[in-house]
Amino acid sequence: METTNTVQSSPASGNLLGKIGFNPAGVLCVLLMLALPYIPPFTDEYLLRWLIYAGFIATLSVGFDFTAGYINIVNFGYAAVAGYGGYTSSLLAVNFGISPWIGIFIGGANAAILGFIIGMISLRLRGIFAACLSWFFGLAIMGLAIKLVWLTRGPLGLRTPKMFATDSNVPYYYLMIVLLIVAYIICKMLVESKVGLAFKAIGQNMDAARTSGINPVFYRVFNFTISCTIAGVMGGFYGHYYGILTPDVMLTTKTVEVLAVAYIGGRGSLWGGAVIAFPFLFLMEVIRSTLSHLPGLNLVIYALMLILVMIYYPGGFSHFFDTHVRQSKNKIIRALLNNK
Amino acid sequence: MSDNLKDSIAWMKSAKGITILSSILLAIFATVNGGPYILVNTIITGGMIALVATGLTLMLGVLNIPAFSHGEYFMIGSLGAYYTFTPIHNYTTMHPDSFLVIWGPLVAIFASMVVGVIAGIITEFLVFKPLRKRSTDNWVMNSFLLTVGLSVLLVNLHQLIFGAEFKGIVRYWGGMPLTFADVFVSRDRVIAFCLAALIIFLFWAFMTYTRTGRAIRAVSQDATGAQIVGINIETIFLITIALSCALAGVAGGSLLFMYPAYPTMGLEPLYMAWFVVILSGLGDILGAVIGAFMVALLKVVTVQYVGAGWDFVVPSILIMFILIFKPSGIFGTEVRGVLDT
Repeated sequence: METTNTVQSSPASGNLLGKIGFNPAGVLCVLLMLALPYIPPFTDEYLLRWLIYAGFIATLSVGFDFTAGYINIVNFGYAAVAGYGGYTSSLLAVNFGISPWIGIFIGGANAAILGFIIGMISLRLRGIFAACLSWFFGLAIMGLAIKLVWLTRGPLGLRTPKMFATDSNVPYYYLMIVLLIVAYIICKMLVESKVGLAFKAIGQNMDAARTSGINPVFYRVFNFTISCTIAGVMGGFYGHYYGILTPDVMLTTKTVEVLAVAYIGGRGSLWGGAVIAFPFLFLMEVIRSTLSHLPGLNLVIYALMLILVMIYYPGGFSHFFDTHVRQSKNKIIRALLNNK
Repeated sequence: MSDNLKDSIAWMKSAKGITILSSILLAIFATVNGGPYILVNTIITGGMIALVATGLTLMLGVLNIPAFSHGEYFMIGSLGAYYTFTPIHNYTTMHPDSFLVIWGPLVAIFASMVVGVIAGIITEFLVFKPLRKRSTDNWVMNSFLLTVGLSVLLVNLHQLIFGAEFKGIVRYWGGMPLTFADVFVSRDRVIAFCLAALIIFLFWAFMTYTRTGRAIRAVSQDATGAQIVGINIETIFLITIALSCALAGVAGGSLLFMYPAYPTMGLEPLYMAWFVVILSGLGDILGAVIGAFMVALLKVVTVQYVGAGWDFVVPSILIMFILIFKPSGIFGTEVRGVLDT
């Protein structure tokens, strides 16, 4: 099954909702998410912290899928880019007293520059070699973050000012949801436009795309820049939310976490990863906390899921949804899911 | 005579010649400047990187699998050696005259190889064969991501079953360290290096002179052509995976005295092996061995002149430049043709 089979052609309706990549069911999901902090089990601060983390991974997986699912290049240094954005924002806040609200966008812009560079230098490479290049790039950045102790305090961690004055997690949660939705809408509108068509063409067959007059240089670099911007902003959010930033956020395992969520959600769908991140990470957290005498079991299940999806069901959750739920016989469900 | 000279000048001007000559010059300079221990360290480190990198090259060249999980076979090998050597060690402390004092470590290292072979075969049957059966579209990328999942799985299975603590041994043979040019090198490291050299030589001979080795090389050049002339391609895949995992496993087993077994121990050899593969391209075994010594030299020189901990940053930046300017590696010629998806 090729990547493109799973790319749902949006039942593009003329209405506003369809244009920004939502359908009535999606709106219901968002409303549910907005109400979640007031529904009993999630009023607990601990569960809310976990939800925010799931949202962080979900947003990263949207940005990751924007590259991996469309132009078919896996940015293996994605977590490092996020960490770079986070460090930019945190260092500005710590050393120059710039407000985190401005800082995270400067961090995003800085990560965009990094994405531009990665996009430029990986232009000549394809497939696995581009993935390797971004991986080594990420390793080099992480090495710098560890070794430039005078700047980043290395593994000790950098204390960062928080974005909200309160101790409650609720404002962070809403900010998280806003960021997730904004990232999703930007990516979705891009891939539904002519630009997105060019991305898919490059992802399927670069030579054929070039023959039909698509300039791969522009589109590849543009794609990397957008996706790294999202990572940079999210890195800033991460730093200012936890109040401490260590080079651990740049580890390859973080990228693998994002990658697993994006692939289990369904590559080339954008929404798959964002939706699946919440129940999936919740399950992992439940396993981790209830079976704490078996450390690592949650990650074993995590990896097993990734392997099984890769081998037997490469379309992931979004493919399952598109073929079984969206084409449902029930008219109400169809109406909810298809914008008609 | 003059033709010969011209040839060698042309060789020196090629990317291969420039790299080899400059690394030799760097080695000489560092040795004169810093002391002979740099050279000794380079050679000993290079031997062990070469073992892991050869397996990785083999897997990439024959099966087109860019294995991210290769370090985990290193870990499996060291686990195998640990659980074989511990009872042997307990026995030899009680019976110091036993023949196992000399042969025990060899048994443990051999066990690590066997464990590597078994792990490789299991992986082939449970992971790569089903994927191959379903689809070979976009194979390189899919198998890469699959090995990413495999790596996470094996690391955490280790933690789940054997725990996260260090499982190491103090020494294999022990005894007085040997001296080379005023440098003390422990006996175990010298023996480990000799073993690595022996195994790589045997492997090279196997690939060059035996029927199976020739079949493996045929498959790496053209799988369809190899099938036409009657090579059973599935068997070759199985043998290749088993061999490459055995190489990683034996590396882990013979270095147990330096790197105790713990869940994420596979990362460092993995990075080093990847550096070598990118540096040398999909060359032959010889390319991987030369590349391994270059990476080792780079690592040792970085530690000497830039500082400990930087031996990770400087090589990755250099490898990035190689990827940018010479994507097919220094010794490779046909990387794109093989790996283009």
